[in-house]
Formats: sequence, C-alpha cells, structure tokens
Amino acid sequence: MTETLTLPAGFEDLAPFAAVWGHLGDQQERYLQRQQSTMKELKAYYDATAPRLNAIFDHLDTFPMDALPEPEALLYRTTLGLTEAAMAIEVFNQPCVPYAPFPHKMAISWSEYR
Amino acid sequence: MADYSEHMTKAADLGLENGRVPTEYYTSPEYFRREQEMIFRRAWLMVGRVEEVPEPGDYVVRDMPTLKASVIIARGKDGEVRAFHNACSHRGVALVCQDRGNALTFRCPYHAWTYRIDGSLSAIPGEQDFAHVDKAANGLARIHLDSWSGFIFLNFADEPEVTLPEYLAGLDVMLEGAPFDQFPFYVAVTDEIDCNWKNLVNAFNEGYHVAVLHAKTLRPMVVPKDNPHLHYLDIKQFGPHSAGTVPRNFDYNPQAPALTWVYAQMLPTSAPDMEAIAQGRAGFYEHPGINRLNIPNFGTETITIFPNISIQPLANGYLFYQFWPISEGRMRTEVRVYARHAPRTLREEFAMASTLAATRDVVVEDMAMSRLQQIGFESGGKKFQHFGQNEPLLRMFTRDYEAFLAGGGLGPPARQAEAAE
Repeated sequence: MTETLTLPAGFEDLAPFAAVWGHLGDQQERYLQRQQSTMKELKAYYDATAPRLNAIFDHLDTFPMDALPEPEALLYRTTLGLTEAAMAIEVFNQPCVPYAPFPHKMAISWSEYR
Repeated sequence: MADYSEHMTKAADLGLENGRVPTEYYTSPEYFRREQEMIFRRAWLMVGRVEEVPEPGDYVVRDMPTLKASVIIARGKDGEVRAFHNACSHRGVALVCQDRGNALTFRCPYHAWTYRIDGSLSAIPGEQDFAHVDKAANGLARIHLDSWSGFIFLNFADEPEVTLPEYLAGLDVMLEGAPFDQFPFYVAVTDEIDCNWKNLVNAFNEGYHVAVLHAKTLRPMVVPKDNPHLHYLDIKQFGPHSAGTVPRNFDYNPQAPALTWVYAQMLPTSAPDMEAIAQGRAGFYEHPGINRLNIPNFGTETITIFPNISIQPLANGYLFYQFWPISEGRMRTEVRVYARHAPRTLREEFAMASTLAATRDVVVEDMAMSRLQQIGFESGGKKFQHFGQNEPLLRMFTRDYEAFLAGGGLGPPARQAEAAE
C-alpha cells in the first residue's frame, strides 16, 4: 500500500482499521479478512465502528453515493467490513462459520450494478 | 395461539414409507451417470429469469456443469427468447466468450462463421469451400426453452417427454400470478462444495436441523416455541415438486447493535414488513397459493422444483437456490437474494451487504454439514441414511428420484389431479 490513508475529519482515529479493511474491494475479500482476523482484532474494529454507524452515514449521506471523494470512499470501504465483522462478534463469537472449510471463499456478484 | 400440529405433515400421511435410503445414491459414480441421463437430460431445468435478457439482442451464457453444457440464452429481434448450445457449426468452438452482453450477431473467433441472434447461420467466409454445408440447417443447435412466471427452463432431450406446464404439474397453477417480477434485482453467491448435490437439496427440505445447526443464526428468527423442530406445514405435492409453509418469529427483535442498525435502514429480505402487511400490499403474503393456512406468523413457502431448485418467497423478496452436480462427490451451488430494487443509498447498500453476509453464513452452515455428510458416507461404514416421519419431503424427493432413474417420474395426469386437490 503506497497510497496515503486519509479519512475525513472526525474519523481520523479509524486509520488503523482503514489500513486493514479500507483497501478491500468486495464482499468476498471482506469475508476472507474476517476469517483471517483474530477475535481481538475484530472486536477492536467492531467497537470502533458499530457505535458510530449513524455518525458515519450522516457524513456519507452529504455526498452523492456514486461520486464519493476519496476520503469518504475510504471511510465507506472501511465501514463495509463491519458487515462481516458483526457476524463474527454478534452472531458466532468466532471469526469463521463453524465447521466450514478454512479459508472459505465464496464468489459474490451483484446484478447489473455499480 | 392456534394449534397447527394437525398441519405438521408426517411422511406416513403421504404414504411415504421409505425411511431408509441407500448411501450409494450419494457416493456412486454409476448413480451420478444415471442422474445425468435419466434426470438432467429429461427434466425441465430452470436456468434464470427473463429479466436477465430484457432487450432484443441481450444474451447470457450459462455453464451447466452437470451436462457439461455451455448455453447461450438470447432474446431475438422478434422478442422471442431462445437457447442454443455454445458451439460453432464449423469446428465446435464455444464462440460466445462473454458472460453477458447485447449483440446483433455472434461471430466465431476461430474462422469468423457468423450467426444471427436467433441462432441462424448468416455467413461463412470463403463459402465456396463449404458448398456441402446447408446454411439453413447449420445454425446454432437449439435447446428446448419455455418459461413460467418469468423463469426460464431448458430441456436437453431431443424431444421433451412432457411440456413445461405438464412438468410443473399444478405447481404453476398454485403460484399463478405470484409477483416474482416485482423483485428483479439480485445478489448471487456461488460456491463449489465437496459433497453430493442431494445432501444440499435435502438440507432445504426439512426444518428439523434449524434449531440445532442454525442455533445462532436462523433459530431466533424462525423457530417458534410451539414448533421447536420447525415442522413444515401444509405440505403439497405436484408431481415431483413440492411446497410447504414455514413459520417464523414475528416478535424477533435483534438486540445486537450492528444488526439492529441494519434493520433500521432497510428491512432484510426475510423480515416481515408489518406495515405493508397491515396495508395489504405485502407481495407474496397476499398470494392465495402461499400460506394457504393463513398462519399469522408466516415465514416462507419453501418451494422445491425437481430436480435442483429451491425458491423461498419472503416478505421483501425471495431466495433462490440451485444445486448442480458436478460428480457424485462435488457440486456447485448458486444462491440468489432477489430484492425490489438496487440499493438507492449507501445505507441501503450497507444493509443489503449485511443481509447478504448473514444469508451466506446460514448457507455456509448447511454446506459445511453437507460436506461432513459426504465424508461420512464415503467412509463406507453406513449403507443407509434415515429419513424421519418429520422429513417427508426427503422421502418424497427420493421416491421421485428413484422413479426418474427407472425411466418414469414425469407425472401422469392422474397424479397432477391428485396434487391439485
């Protein structure tokens, strides 16, 4: 990673999590990142982002969804990792789905979209 | 609370006595070969939706591993949707290499033989050297195609033994007018698993495992106190196809912060939209063929279309599962979550991604068991598996599976009349 990780003002403290989750491009990569993380890492990330979902999206809502400036795009990508981390923290209490092969890949595609 | 125990259909109620099924069906290469020939080359196979090719010239290419088929599905200038084997008449090249697109013609990259979107052969470069080739008879090879309710079905037989409506045997009548077309947007997850495809078919046909395997995921959402083993209710048979009503917990109220936040942005596909239900605009909920018992905490109608489709209409969309055998010990699955529209805001997109992750994890739990099952079967110590009275759809599927392998299965009219009762 050579690009600088610049988050919007007020969200700079999420930089350590942006370094992990912010460059992931799709849900499959986020799913793999979740599986490869420890619960301690996932919990720290979850604790930093889950309580701030409203603040994060209140900020993102002020931009057009298809034209986020790079700091906001980074914030959004960083936050999307929570869709996976929350399953580990809130549901399974472990990073992986029990009994599934590890690492487990699963291709995901969205129909005619973005 | 109403007592629905009388609707908890037992296998014996349907005359299904096959409680012991050979594991050989799940492990033998010979059975897989018979499945290819006697099931997948005879049955009508669902391969997609007409919305995937909305405009003339639109096409998609589908790879069907069970039959090693590469199929082009294209809408012609005349509006008709046709299916072809993706193979050039000249030397066989699978000429369409993009998954989807819009085209006026298909041109083979090898020697530029060119086909119209309706499959007819339009040009042979250096045609004088192919005087023996009748262009009119050498279009792309057609595959029988028909559609029902916007779902595209193919039949790989030279001449199908029955029409698609005959094949659907009344299921189509029960679901006539169901609003699948109101949910055109989907997200798909696909995976290949080391297991027999029927393991996963079976997983979707019984609720017995939900409280155990899905204890942390589905159980709080769908297993009611008065139906702890999640018996499917009101089981209906239509030829080899089936439907059953599944309840859910309408008072499910997730407390976990991220999940709660997601629910507040956009209801997941599976959650009941209480407001819409109260206003009488709840999509599938209102359909007379769905939730015929009118159970107040209706979750889904789980619909199995033989051999390899499961569809679950929900409050805000529907789930679609397809199971393709690749060999006796390997399969491919595709799960699609269909919704009303693409996300319109980042909040909705985040909510959809969360729902997708949660749905995928439930399916991953099922796939994990199917894989472990295969390991157990292939170890060879067990010659049979057992299907309980509370697993009638597994016995039914097996009955029809055996009938197909024996050359039957495509229901005579008598069976259809019975199912329509």
